[in-house]
Order: sequence, then C-alpha cells, then structure tokens
Amino acid sequence: MATSAVEIRGLTRRFGKLFTLGPIDLTVPAGTIYGFVGPNGAGKTTTLDLIFGLGGKDGGSIEVMGLDHIRDDVAMKRAAGYVSPDLNYQAWTRVDKAIRFVSGFYPTWDDEYCQTLLKAFHLNWRDQIGALSFGAKTKLSLLLAMSWQPKVLVLDEPTIGLDAISKQQVFAELLGMVRDGERSVLISSHNLSDIERITDHVGMIKSGQMIFEGATTDVVERFRMIDIDATHAAALADQAGITVQETEGLRGRVLVDQRQVTIDHLRARGVTVLSDCPVTLEELFVALGRA
Amino acid sequence: MVTPPKKLLIGPLSTAGSGTLYQQIVDGLKREVSEGRLPPGAPLPSFRNLAADLLVSVITVKRAYEDLEREGIIYRRQGLGTFVAEAADAKSREVKKTRAKQLIEHAVREASEAGLSHQDVVDLLHQIIHENGDSSHGHKRR
Repeated sequence: MATSAVEIRGLTRRFGKLFTLGPIDLTVPAGTIYGFVGPNGAGKTTTLDLIFGLGGKDGGSIEVMGLDHIRDDVAMKRAAGYVSPDLNYQAWTRVDKAIRFVSGFYPTWDDEYCQTLLKAFHLNWRDQIGALSFGAKTKLSLLLAMSWQPKVLVLDEPTIGLDAISKQQVFAELLGMVRDGERSVLISSHNLSDIERITDHVGMIKSGQMIFEGATTDVVERFRMIDIDATHAAALADQAGITVQETEGLRGRVLVDQRQVTIDHLRARGVTVLSDCPVTLEELFVALGRA
Repeated sequence: MVTPPKKLLIGPLSTAGSGTLYQQIVDGLKREVSEGRLPPGAPLPSFRNLAADLLVSVITVKRAYEDLEREGIIYRRQGLGTFVAEAADAKSREVKKTRAKQLIEHAVREASEAGLSHQDVVDLLHQIIHENGDSSHGHKRR
C-alpha cells in the first residue's frame, strides 16, 4: 500500500516568461489532512489542477495513492475526488437530480453517508440549485465529492462564502473522513486559523516555490518573532533563517527560523533580544508572504 | 470489557485559551483524571475519534497522548486501545507539583530582577495564598 496519498516531485509548469511554477515537492501522508496555503497567485490552484490533469506539466511527477496521474489516469480518478470553485451543477436544476447523475458514475457511492451529509449541510433533496446561496452550492459540491468516499479528497478553497457555522460543519466532516486512517485530504484555504487547527501537515507556496512543508505543529513551533536592536537587524538581513519584518527607530523586528539559526546562537553573537514571541500560522503566513 | 465513552468532554478548547491546543488537551485530560472522572483503567477514545470530536488535527491529539503516556498517566495496548493508568491521579498530581515549582522559580527570578528582596517575595507569596484562601472560603460559605 502506498504510504503517501499524494506525492509530487519536481513538478514544474512554465507560463511564458511571466511565471514559473516549481520545481515543487509536496507530500500528503496517507490518513492525514494537509493544508496547502499561499498568497493569491502563488500557484495553489495551478498545482491542484495539474494533479487532475487539468493543464499540462513541463516536468516532474505526480502520484496519487501510488498511481501516476497521467498513465493511470482512470484508476487515479476512481481514488481521488476534486472540488474546485469552478464546479457548477446548475445544469441538473435540482439537488436530487445532481445526486442521481453523479452517483451513477461511482460504484463506491454511499447513499447513507450522502443522506447524513444532506442533513449536516442543511441541503434538501428538492432544492432548486439555481436558488441556492453561494455557500450552499459549495456544500453541494462537497457532498457530491464526499459521498462516493474517495481515498483522497482534494479541495480548492472549499470554505469561500461559508459562514462560521457551515465552515465548522465542513471541517468536522473532513476530520470524520480521516477517522479510519486510510482516507486523506489535501485542502487549500485562506482560513489560516482553521487550517492550523485541523491539519496534520501544512505546506506554503509563494511565487511558485514551496517555502516550507511539515507537520503543522512543528512548522509553527519552528518560528519565533523577536525584537532586537535595529543595527543588529540590519546586519542580520542577509542571514539564512532571518526575515526582517520592520525597523522602527532603534528597534527591529525579525522572524527567526530556528531550524536555521537559534535565538541562543544570536545571543551568543552579541544580539540583545528585547522580546521573543511564538507565532500563529496566520502570523507566519503574513511574515513570510509579504517579504 | 468497558467501551470508551461515546464522546469525551474535556472542557472547551480554544485558541483564545491559555497554551497551545495540544497543551490544553493534556491539561484537560489530567484534570479529568485527577478529579476522578476518568478512573484508572478507563478507556480513552482513539486519537482519531477524539480529534474529530474536539475539531482539532489528529497530530495534535496524538502528541497529547504521547506526552501523557510518557508521564505514565495513560498507556496503550496494541489493538485494544488507550487506557488511564493505575495511580494516574497520583502521577498527575506529581506532574502538577513539578510544574508549580517551575512557575514559582520563574516568579522568584522575575521578582528578584524587579529588585524585590527575598523577604518581599515571601511576603508576596503569603499575601497571595491568604487572598486565594479567603476567596475560596468565601466561595464555600455561599
């Protein structure tokens, strides 16, 4: 059995001279929820689309449950479901018709689970799809993808337009999905506090490059935000593991990646640490994303 | 054989609470143990089930369980599940005592950095114990 749900190695995709994605390495261990984060335009959707063969890659490999995403295309799509904001089920006019249509494709469709999700997401069998709110349409897409019990569920921004209650229901269902330790979720989202709370692994992409990946708790604990003398901050600007955030008068604020340089090491080099604070995933995202 | 509780409530978890979510789970389970709501031998939910119930990642609960196992408060039996250890309440108290000592050490260091004398610190401690004692007595009378 594959130990990774998704394994991306050296993935590249060039868009003329304007933008190059990659090379990207990304691993979703089986049985986990992986949060894929990054600023707008960093390449998240492009990467997720490439997994499902939407657009051609220029290099690298992608495997889902040990299946090559192009060579084993059919088997791969029986194992993995994709929910993207572009999905539109309006053509099936009513919820029940959309369900009947989609369920026909999947031998693994679970009617009972579908009913549970309908209730959890407050959707009704006879609802007109055109009359559904944006959030309810998103929930319908999720329901259609989750009900056939894919081994791997890939979600691109699934919580846009969802209120806090609906968002929590979705995350609760995702945690329920990985309960058996066999299913996995790869989710891109800007809800960083939720991502920090529910994901086991997290990876951040910026300008087409992965800038960190690892167990969510490890990644967040690895970084500290410290205040030091402005002169020291200026001197450290080019040091690996240091990202200068701002300098104001005599004080400078820097983000420290403790895997590359420890705060004790900085102290030993004569840097006076005026304050030292842990960061949340959201703070980390802002600190690394804008630099 | 005892089945694990359908849902284990260990007090609300919140990112607005003190400490990381993982620390809050450790503290919450210790509280349940030391206050006798989880007696020795009681089965705990699998970490995947607890994660889904608490709406936190599996890895967070796994770490909390690993910590509690290291401290001897819970133990794992392959294929059977996770259980509260014998004498877990005593161990839980021991761990709390160690932590209290560390916090007091930290407080003493801060106080001496602030220029307080040893006598000042002792007085301050007496005052805090006195105030807390008063409020808890007051609480009991009500």
